[in-house]
Amino acid sequence: MAGGGIVGWSAAAALKRRLPNLSVSVVDCAPPTNALAERIICTLPSMVDFHGDLGLSTADTVIRAGSGYRLGTRFEGWAEADYVHAYGSYGTALGSAPFHQYWLRAAETSAAAPFDSYSAAAESARRNRFAPPDGVSRAGLGTIGYGLHIDPPRYREMMRAFALHLGVTEISATVSDVRLSSGDGSIQSVQVGGAEAAADLYVDATGPDALLRSRLDDQWEDWSEWLPNDRVLIAQSSSPAEPSLLDSAVAIRGGWRWQAAAPGQTSHGAVYSSKHLTDSDAARIVAESGSSVALESAVDIRQGRWSQPWLRNCVAIGDAAVAVEPLEWTNLHLAHGAIDRLVALMPDRDFSPVELWDYNRQAGAEADRVRDFLVLHYTTMDGQSRAAVPPSLAHTLQQFSERGRLPFYEEETFSRDSWLAVLFGQSAIPDRIDPLTEAVSPAEADQAMEQMRGAIKTFVDRLPKYSDFLQRMSQKAA
Amino acid sequence: MLAVTQTRVVVVGGGTAGWMTAAALRTLLPGRCTVDLVESQEIGIVGVGEATLPHIRGFNERLGIDEADFMSATKATFKLGIDFENWGRVGDRYIHPFGTFGRGQGEVDFHQYWLRLRHEGVAVPDLEQYSMACIMARLGKFALPAKDPDDIASTFNYAYQFDATLYAPYLRARAERLGCRRTEGRIVDVELNGESGDVDAVILADGQRIVGDLFVDCSGFVSLLIGKALEEPFEDWSKWLPCDRAVAMPCRTETAITPYTGVIAMDWGWRWRIPLQHRTGNGYVYASAFVSDEQTRSDLVDAVEGEPIAEPRVLKFKAGRRRRSWVKNCVAVGLASGFLEPLESTSIYLIQAAITALVELFPDNPIADCDRDEFNRVVDLEYDRIRDFLILHYHATERSDSPFWDYVRTMEIPDSLAEKLELFRRRGRVVKYREGVFLEASWIAVYLGQRVTPLGHDLRADIPAPDALARGMETLRGEIKAVAEGMPDHSAMLSRYCPMAA
Repeated sequence: MAGGGIVGWSAAAALKRRLPNLSVSVVDCAPPTNALAERIICTLPSMVDFHGDLGLSTADTVIRAGSGYRLGTRFEGWAEADYVHAYGSYGTALGSAPFHQYWLRAAETSAAAPFDSYSAAAESARRNRFAPPDGVSRAGLGTIGYGLHIDPPRYREMMRAFALHLGVTEISATVSDVRLSSGDGSIQSVQVGGAEAAADLYVDATGPDALLRSRLDDQWEDWSEWLPNDRVLIAQSSSPAEPSLLDSAVAIRGGWRWQAAAPGQTSHGAVYSSKHLTDSDAARIVAESGSSVALESAVDIRQGRWSQPWLRNCVAIGDAAVAVEPLEWTNLHLAHGAIDRLVALMPDRDFSPVELWDYNRQAGAEADRVRDFLVLHYTTMDGQSRAAVPPSLAHTLQQFSERGRLPFYEEETFSRDSWLAVLFGQSAIPDRIDPLTEAVSPAEADQAMEQMRGAIKTFVDRLPKYSDFLQRMSQKAA
Repeated sequence: MLAVTQTRVVVVGGGTAGWMTAAALRTLLPGRCTVDLVESQEIGIVGVGEATLPHIRGFNERLGIDEADFMSATKATFKLGIDFENWGRVGDRYIHPFGTFGRGQGEVDFHQYWLRLRHEGVAVPDLEQYSMACIMARLGKFALPAKDPDDIASTFNYAYQFDATLYAPYLRARAERLGCRRTEGRIVDVELNGESGDVDAVILADGQRIVGDLFVDCSGFVSLLIGKALEEPFEDWSKWLPCDRAVAMPCRTETAITPYTGVIAMDWGWRWRIPLQHRTGNGYVYASAFVSDEQTRSDLVDAVEGEPIAEPRVLKFKAGRRRRSWVKNCVAVGLASGFLEPLESTSIYLIQAAITALVELFPDNPIADCDRDEFNRVVDLEYDRIRDFLILHYHATERSDSPFWDYVRTMEIPDSLAEKLELFRRRGRVVKYREGVFLEASWIAVYLGQRVTPLGHDLRADIPAPDALARGMETLRGEIKAVAEGMPDHSAMLSRYCPMAA
């Protein structure tokens, strides 16, 4: 395992925990500052599942590593009105058409509240009240998912300690050279701190430079035509007075900026295109977004992915495999996806092309679906001319704008409700309503939708304030 | 918003496809369309598709059909899977179950643990011993699945075997009650619009002219509208699926009514055995390039278990599909759109998939291209995936006892299937799709049942201690057996739940 960041140590821990017969060594070199999976504090609900597979409880990781909870993102300035993309369902079943079709019909006659007011997670997030979902289904409420805010250095330290405890070996050195076999071009050994290290499989978690993987071929798919942002500025300020379950993503000229109030720190940052915004303007915007904001220097990103993240005996994961801006916080999620696949599809030493093909097919589809979801935010932005979009997204947009349909794709990260939250949030409205809605009268549907909002309100009223919840948790642990 | 107008739908053909379409449209989109169905008593129902897949339950439910009432009316039986005989080698036998192997809940597929023990040289019983559906089928038992997902009796699904000549009239009664107009008559001409090329009307033998906005071609193999009138080309798949004829002959049931369909490989193709409450359907599907009609006809007559109820009847077909199933204002549903042999009971499933897509993409007037394109994308995907699954049955064999088996064993297969096969051979992995008619257990059953043996297994299956794993599997096997044995006999269940209507 080359790379001693969060991605490298998480992968080492997962491999050792779930395939204990493997022997795993980590070359503990620090990934560069543009390896975003190592630096972004916001994570998706898949984080909680990843911990579950490793046998780590969220309460443990939250308390030990200074993490907090998060329910979603408020998008400000992306459309006429702000909207919340929260994790979990929007609306519950009603007749034979999907919920959003009834909402659309009601919205036409202005009988509907904003789409995100039918999401229990969004409502909890807005009102900053929280308790982890108990899995009990309640009428009209739907499901709630949550991600975490992490403190990256502390989280990395926790993952490293856990991996070492599981029996992973640490090599404290950097990768200085990669030696390829003259025969099939696979990696023969890597030069680490003056010594040579050889392995059956090399996992490249060295960040965007992909120190190992980049030596094997240069088949990189560039996404800059669709995702032109190429600079990221990260900053932080002190602990917020009141930690928040809801992060914000604010549209700015030439890009967007974020703010996330985690229990231990407030994270700020900006993502922008160097063609449209200078570093100094970006720095000014971020500095003004809070008091005494400590800025770091802006870094370059180049959005895209390897056509084949796994080639011969080397597989790239995390930022080494796919680089995207942190909009929707998918950086660490994509790394976890790669780690899960690696565990599930671990092949034989001869790396049969068909097994690698299966891995690459899944990895490629997952990355492309995330790419489409990010591009979606820009193509449906108010007042913007529709930029070029990938063909798969064009298909989705066409089906949606004609009749509110979302075609199915394999390896999708974001649920249909997530897609709808962004589409409706950004005022994309289909031309036609699904005729299947006609079986339920508007009055009946209005009443059911009113009941959903009532159920959500009652539920959120009973939740503790987030800060009280956190306090109680740390008392319990003490 | 566009104005809502009622679309005038004309369904051409009154078989299973026609009446399923009419009933679905009138139930689900009553305010959106009127439905005229044209059929002729002179033309019979092909009615090959007597055995179904579990998806039909969802379709019936959506239409508000009561299960027991429907089963009684169509003299239906329960179906837990398909029993394949003589496929890998003569004498081999396996069940493709509607259900999981093991509990189907863990992170690692159950068959991986089974493979691991085999690789370690442990004498583990056949995989079907760990499948609720297989054991119920073997014991001839049936009860409705349990609702609690932790109950082993929840790990199976089921479909029906029914008399297709009774299903269409059953749906007809419903559709007519819901306002579908039926016109009796033979279609002699199809009137196309000189400008748009759309179908304007169909002309009947008595001179009646039936106009519509949207035509659904359910005319069967003749493919009256999409094939004949609109001339949409047919993609021929017979190089992979060379069977092009079937001889069918129902007989009296002599043995117990089995809760599964029998599919027996023969010298020149295969034979079906579909037990209904009142009779058993039989047929021999074969490739006419290799064998004569007389030969298969006499083989079938020799093979059936009971006294024949009708004379053997020969059907001709060709495997493949129309390049597009929706052209202009004409949607083909069922045999008019394509044909895949009934080896895995997919005929009615394909009808249902097309109807579901049509309901979801029901067009306005004029029809938008994007509705048509999306429909064709969805339907093509269904056909293509089933095609690969069917080819697998022929190709994964060691049989070399006739030129027919030599051909299918050595033929070139589509790349998409070759990759899947190789992936399974390596480590028992199944390419997972979240959407698709046949899920992992189906592929696993056929691969292992036809001697595609993985060299390795999932490394995660090595984690449990050997004795704990063997004990756990033995406990599971015992539990499945005990639960199945406690269930009613299939025939007892039928006579209590849905005795056939007189």
